[in-house]
Amino acid sequence: MRGLWTTSVIVLLGLFVVALAVGPVAIPMHDLWSSEIVRAVRLPRAVLALLVGAALGMSGGALQGVLRNGLAEPYLLGVSGGAAVGAVVAAMLGLAGPATTPLAALIGAVAAVVLVLIVARVGGGRGADPRVLIMAGVVVGAFANAAIMVALASAPADTVRGAVWWMMGSVADANWPGIAWLASYVAVGGALLLLWAPEIDALALGDEAAAAIGVDVDRASRRIFLAAATVAAATVAAAGLVGFVGLVVPHIARSGGARASRAILGASALVGAALVLAADIAARTVRAPADLPLGAITALVGVPFFLSRLRRTGASP
Amino acid sequence: MRWLLLLAVTACSGSHQASPRDRAVDDFGDTVPVGLAARRIASLNPTTTELLFAMGDGGRLVGRTHWDNYPPEAAAVPDLGNGLRPNIEAVLAAHPDLVLLYASADNRSTALKLHELGVATLSVKVDHITDFAREARLLGRVLGDSAAAATVVDSVQRTLDRVRAATAPLPHPTVFWVVWESPLMAVGGGSFLDELITIAGGTNIYGSLSAPSPVVSREDVLSRHPDVIFASPAAAKEWTGRVLVPDTALIGHPSVRLGEAAVSLANLLHPGVLR
Repeated sequence: MRGLWTTSVIVLLGLFVVALAVGPVAIPMHDLWSSEIVRAVRLPRAVLALLVGAALGMSGGALQGVLRNGLAEPYLLGVSGGAAVGAVVAAMLGLAGPATTPLAALIGAVAAVVLVLIVARVGGGRGADPRVLIMAGVVVGAFANAAIMVALASAPADTVRGAVWWMMGSVADANWPGIAWLASYVAVGGALLLLWAPEIDALALGDEAAAAIGVDVDRASRRIFLAAATVAAATVAAAGLVGFVGLVVPHIARSGGARASRAILGASALVGAALVLAADIAARTVRAPADLPLGAITALVGVPFFLSRLRRTGASP
Repeated sequence: MRWLLLLAVTACSGSHQASPRDRAVDDFGDTVPVGLAARRIASLNPTTTELLFAMGDGGRLVGRTHWDNYPPEAAAVPDLGNGLRPNIEAVLAAHPDLVLLYASADNRSTALKLHELGVATLSVKVDHITDFAREARLLGRVLGDSAAAATVVDSVQRTLDRVRAATAPLPHPTVFWVVWESPLMAVGGGSFLDELITIAGGTNIYGSLSAPSPVVSREDVLSRHPDVIFASPAAAKEWTGRVLVPDTALIGHPSVRLGEAAVSLANLLHPGVLR
């Protein structure tokens, strides 16, 4: 476990320096901090990548714990579909822009999550049956995808282009106001998840066992679900759909020795930040000057690593 | 910063604030100083790249998009990648003092970031023939070279007028122009190609649709009985009747070769009408 923390922190710091040092403009190491390009382009991009990765990692860690399912991840629960519908609707109404698209995406994501909760409540007859929540999330996500396809089928070319770009995920448009906004969500949401981590541990024992030790199962799982989904929705609003991180990172954290939920959340934040930062470095350098889609690169970087860990240790939910 | 400074200097040097004569407003609504002595221009829009060469300002180019292939001299200008959501660092690496962008929502954040870094931008949206004349004059004003821009616009306009006059008395065949085979897409009323069909002496069967390239059904096309079908060499085999292949190099975007494109289309529709 100690090894996981140390390795994550060292890798993260190393990647951060690489992210600032590497790019089409050659900047000597001793000029890094005084360079306007580093300050205005690379630094915000690296910080946004860190925040997105940390948030998605924590969100995935919390959801896998509370839903007792290793396949659970924020995007499986309607967050991505809802956010994409929000962004596409904004574009169709001619409202797309650096400030409005994220807001529309956030509204769409939160609406989808609330819808999932309502459906799960009706379908399951109780607050938050994990299986019903996952089922409702998948169905709401599928509905959102269908709605997007119908909307884009007759949309103007630049609307389609913007929507597709956004669905591929990117931190290329990073700016400080957007970062401050995401940071506030991640700080509050992350703190709440860490605070509620003991409840996630209790829920992992099963509903009856959790209830036996005094946990209000419905209330606890609902609020953890909502906090995790909101944090993920904020990342979608800031950087589009960066898939796979929420699914794979908690497994890497657990395979590194994290057992208690608080440790899993902390380690997931570090590993998620490192994964997205590494993916973004690859996205903007592999085929420069073209920017590759970040969401695809996170999967390309994460899958081989995940599979190698899986083979060595086996995955536990 | 540099253009802000220039604005400030311009404002202070006169006895009053900058008047509208001292600045222009581009298609993003951004204010651009006029008479900008831009020596290093990155043109991330094939239309403006062609225009700059036609104005005799090609030597000022320090960057272009991957897709700018005309005139042949453009190949010698460094390739900065995509014109939509360009890699901002690659653009900065060329050290431009003016960046020309295509004004679509994709490029708004790029323009804002460049302003933050003190680089002036001029963003234009040239989708129609009238846009071309307007934007060419705007670029001329910004570069302090209105005369060169006017010469280019007049030359294009004269050719278009000549084609229009030559084809006006002729019968206008109905035209279906295949933009894409799968899904089947046509030139619609929102495209400059629709305007070119009219000038060249044809009638676009989908001219009443407002989209630039609407998806249409094969059955609907056949029910409209077009006299002529314009298609690419590959798509031409899929159609029967009078199928013609326009010169795709001329009709890629509405720029300095609009006149040539109109001549070429008119000669396709009405062989020998223009020389």
